[in-house]
Amino acid sequence: MSPERRKRIEVKLALPVVAPLLDVIRELADSLKQNLAASTPLPDIEPEFREAWQGELLTAQNDDVRTLLALFNDEFFTEGVVAFDDDNAEAIVRACAAVRLRLREVYLKPLGDEALESGDVDLLALDDPLRKAFMCYLFLATVQELIIQHLDESILES
Amino acid sequence: MKIVATNPHVSPAPHAETELALEGLWRVVVLNDPVNLMSYVVLVFKKVFGFDEATARRKMLEVHEQGRSIVWSGLREKAEAYVFTLQQWHLTAVLEPDESRTT
Repeated sequence: MSPERRKRIEVKLALPVVAPLLDVIRELADSLKQNLAASTPLPDIEPEFREAWQGELLTAQNDDVRTLLALFNDEFFTEGVVAFDDDNAEAIVRACAAVRLRLREVYLKPLGDEALESGDVDLLALDDPLRKAFMCYLFLATVQELIIQHLDESILES
Repeated sequence: MKIVATNPHVSPAPHAETELALEGLWRVVVLNDPVNLMSYVVLVFKKVFGFDEATARRKMLEVHEQGRSIVWSGLREKAEAYVFTLQQWHLTAVLEPDESRTT
């Protein structure tokens, strides 16, 4: 793709709001190093193939999560700015899905699936760790929406 | 679906061909989850299967409202590849034998 066709969006985030969520994202990113985010009902296949299947999923998942974490670099901590472009959009949108699924497994099950699906949750009624986890869940959904809204063509064409 | 023999020197008997076809027809089914955004699922369907917007939305709504949608049907090897790709996108996808189709 020629440079002039490259699409990039920069988003200025509220540092005091987002920075504390990074601890949660990093913690879950760590747990995703060894665990797949979603349940993966595998077809009836040979054990060796099964291992390779899960190994490849895990490798791809880790690559995506690394791309997500790379968003929060020096520029983010000085300017509060993160940038999405043709190169990172697809990996980040997938990594957000992985971390959100992991958030449900680790923190958000007490809220119930209906509340998670509708987003209808009273933040003030939650204790601190649960509130932080749910805010993280919402933040990552917002990142996904931004990318899908502005960079879906980059993903579809890649 | 037409089954093509992989060995050009051997022509399978008609009944063997039917058997192969029956064994080889599988469905890729996506199951609902409470986490992934509707817009994300639509994007994944467009990306993975090349669906147009309307088809992708219709399939996504089937998943959302009925808990599952058959998104592809065909030979086992390709069906497995689709399940793998959908799992890379963190959708819950399973393989089922397609008993509705014969050749």
